Amino acid sequence: MNGPVRRISIGIFTSFCVLLLAVTWIQVVHADTLKADPRNARPALSERGKERGLIVTIDGTVVAESVVDPADPRSFVRTYPEGEAFAHVVGYNSFLLGDSGLEEAYASVLRSKRDLTISDLLSVILGRDLRPHSLEMTVNGPLQRAAYEALAGQAGAVVALDPKTGAVLAAVSSPSFDPESLLGEDAQEMWDSLLADPESPLSDRATKELFAPGSTFKTVVTATALDTGEADPGTEFPDPLEYELEGSTGTISNYGGGYCDDGTTVTLLVAFVRSCNTIFADLSVRLGAEDIGITAGALGFNTDLNFPWTVPQATYPVDDLVDDPAALAQSGIGERDVRATPLHMAMIASAVANQGLVPNPYLVNRVFDADGDTVETTEPVSLGRAMAPATASVLAQMMERVVTEGTGRLAAVPGVRVAGKTGTAEGAGDGPHAWFIGFAPVENPTIAIAVLIAGGGDIGESATGGAVAAPIAADLISLWLQGSQ
Amino acid sequence: MTPNAEGATVVAASVLAGFGVTLVNFARDESVDAQTALTFLVFLIAFGGLHLAVRTWAPRATTLLIAPIAGLTALGFIEIYRLEPVRAGLQRWWILIAAGVAITVLALFARSSTTILRRYRNIILLVSLILLLLPNLPIDWGFPLKGLVVNGSRLWIVLDMGFTTLQFQPAELAKLGFVVYVAAYLADHQKALREARRQVGPIRFPEPRQLIPLVVTWVVSILILISQRDLGASLLLFAGFVLLLYAATGTTGYLVVGGFMAAVAGVASVYMFEHVNRRVVAWLTPFQHYDDEGYQIAQGLFAMGTGSLSGAGPGLGRPDLIPNASTDFIFAAVGEELGFAGTVSVIALFALVVAVGLGISFRSRDMFRKLLAAGLTFVFAVQVLLIIGGVVRVVPLTGITLPFMSYGGSALVGNLILIALLLRISHEEAT
Repeated sequence: MNGPVRRISIGIFTSFCVLLLAVTWIQVVHADTLKADPRNARPALSERGKERGLIVTIDGTVVAESVVDPADPRSFVRTYPEGEAFAHVVGYNSFLLGDSGLEEAYASVLRSKRDLTISDLLSVILGRDLRPHSLEMTVNGPLQRAAYEALAGQAGAVVALDPKTGAVLAAVSSPSFDPESLLGEDAQEMWDSLLADPESPLSDRATKELFAPGSTFKTVVTATALDTGEADPGTEFPDPLEYELEGSTGTISNYGGGYCDDGTTVTLLVAFVRSCNTIFADLSVRLGAEDIGITAGALGFNTDLNFPWTVPQATYPVDDLVDDPAALAQSGIGERDVRATPLHMAMIASAVANQGLVPNPYLVNRVFDADGDTVETTEPVSLGRAMAPATASVLAQMMERVVTEGTGRLAAVPGVRVAGKTGTAEGAGDGPHAWFIGFAPVENPTIAIAVLIAGGGDIGESATGGAVAAPIAADLISLWLQGSQ
Repeated sequence: MTPNAEGATVVAASVLAGFGVTLVNFARDESVDAQTALTFLVFLIAFGGLHLAVRTWAPRATTLLIAPIAGLTALGFIEIYRLEPVRAGLQRWWILIAAGVAITVLALFARSSTTILRRYRNIILLVSLILLLLPNLPIDWGFPLKGLVVNGSRLWIVLDMGFTTLQFQPAELAKLGFVVYVAAYLADHQKALREARRQVGPIRFPEPRQLIPLVVTWVVSILILISQRDLGASLLLFAGFVLLLYAATGTTGYLVVGGFMAAVAGVASVYMFEHVNRRVVAWLTPFQHYDDEGYQIAQGLFAMGTGSLSGAGPGLGRPDLIPNASTDFIFAAVGEELGFAGTVSVIALFALVVAVGLGISFRSRDMFRKLLAAGLTFVFAVQVLLIIGGVVRVVPLTGITLPFMSYGGSALVGNLILIALLLRISHEEAT
């Protein structure tokens, strides 16, 4: 009589086993996927209101801090005392919008490990520290602030590096936004209005936007010429009124028209100092895409950069240029499809300053715990050699002449040997992208810098790198050298 | 387990409930208040009282039932308290009331026997039918007893006593009445129903006229689905009946025919009833329909996945994000806050209750009591399997409550009566 009941029992307990399997699948095997699903608000909610570590600059300026919420003493709110100047690099930790910048890249470091769970209790008993760790950035507070003010709300960016180590001394994008405005309940409306702003304050022009580098790219072409022995500063080039593009009816002329010198011949040095497009178009074609591509590649073009966040690849499309001399000529003056971030252009200036060795840029100097003890220090990394030391030193002298007597005269700082190169690239907006890249002091460089005023800035059409970007570089180099002495 | 050991587990379950409430309070605002003591005392009085009642009026009953149900009630209560503190206060009253009813049931049977139920089976059936139809009373008439629509289902009655209203789901009691009736009916007609002459392959099929009770139940189940929009009760009734019919007769044909009828009705209802269709869509593709019918299932899965092995801790997860967390999805709430450890414990405790219930049936010599114990256990097991299975996405969600864990007084009363009956049968059949 118990037979049927027994068979049903088997069925029931088999079903219980199925439940166990399903629960195992959900809570053990599949748990991480479910936890990571973007629609699952729980991980973000559990972070909300918890203390996060500090972010400070290398000179001790606090740029991100968790303070006790006045409305709820058990909860914390994030504050960004330095506001706009640091907004892109420090980022924000917003419940509604997620994280950005260093707040995102170092989330696991900055996060409190205190979850009030039993394993926390064990950790405390075992003497582990559950308090969040903090970050010390490589960025110099006064320099960063000065750079932001110097841009004066114009669309643009400044990146300054320690040319020997790659430590980022300043990384500013303008215009900017107040990160604290994205933390509250109205974050989504703030976000939408920032997105709708035609000046796009949310985009990080310093490290996440690509721009045509214009004539600043002539440093790369010159380095190739010097390295390959194709030319030296004294090499004479014909000086045409216009460079005629091969296989095309187009021409390349110099800025403002006219000859580079007197219409006969001109040396590479003079062409570089005066930033003559005709001569560099000619030189690029003589060098060929492959050789320029080797130097550009060693300087980090067409490769991914190791940075706290993804930096778009700087491009020099070698394969497209090999059989297209017209494009090759245009690329030699940093137009056509050549693109780089200001961060990348600062790396190129650093390589020249650093005897040809390319430093890997980094933002965080060290991680420290709640007692201030160092947990981890970043060791500078070199990306290798992009040019011979002799090439770098000759190029440095040529760049110094740009500042003493050429297009970059406004970058001069009294009593300091400044080297640089200007650039004025066709922009998409109202005016050109005005560039200045350089470093100082030439005899022992401590700062390499890239300044970009995108779309002509306040003066629009007539903007040039020498007129609008170089003076900003001069101010910042001056400030930096005063500070470090 | 000795009776004293059972007493100790009741104390342990009361401590568990009190401790859980303390943890929830601590997580909420780092304070400890009278809720701890209150919860501990309510559990101690309710389950301690039940334990003493069993020792007094059914001393030879199994000692393995009260411990798991006290544990399950405690785990469920912690999550109810965490999710809805106000409802938890009500639930505490219901725990006391349900224990009181269960104790009364034990006391009533003290001088008689459960076999008395067999004699009154027709009255019990009539009462059960009336109970089942009560929610169809008008919602707004002068009489104090009214129907009530909750979430589109007509499952509730409300008794308006002037100073306060009392809500009750009569189906929870009707369910027990049906089991009693079916067990009695099958005990009477067992022989006739067992004679299955037609044989197709290895499976013996009953005569067509013997299928009449099956067809009647099937029609009633479908009527429940239509009139009360209650997929869970409908399935529970039919599955319980078919299983008991098979248990009584051993005729596999009943399972085959019953399964076929359920499948036909099931498939048809997916196409005919939008509320059934939505459940199936949510079951098959919860994440694709996240913004609509799949939301609840998806949130439940997120909750359990985030809870992972050890859970967030009582009061530290966000089970409040799951719709109906304190009723249909209490299992997911346990999964989030108590983790895999919690869900496995819950499944194990339910399996223990079911195993003890089936063991009582196995050992019974009286056919009615054997079938009654089996039927009560089947209904309990099917209910647990359907709702947990729905939450963990093994079957479509049917929207029935998890016994002893979900918020709800009627279910608690019904299930504690069920346990009291099992205890009584085990006492009567003990040797």
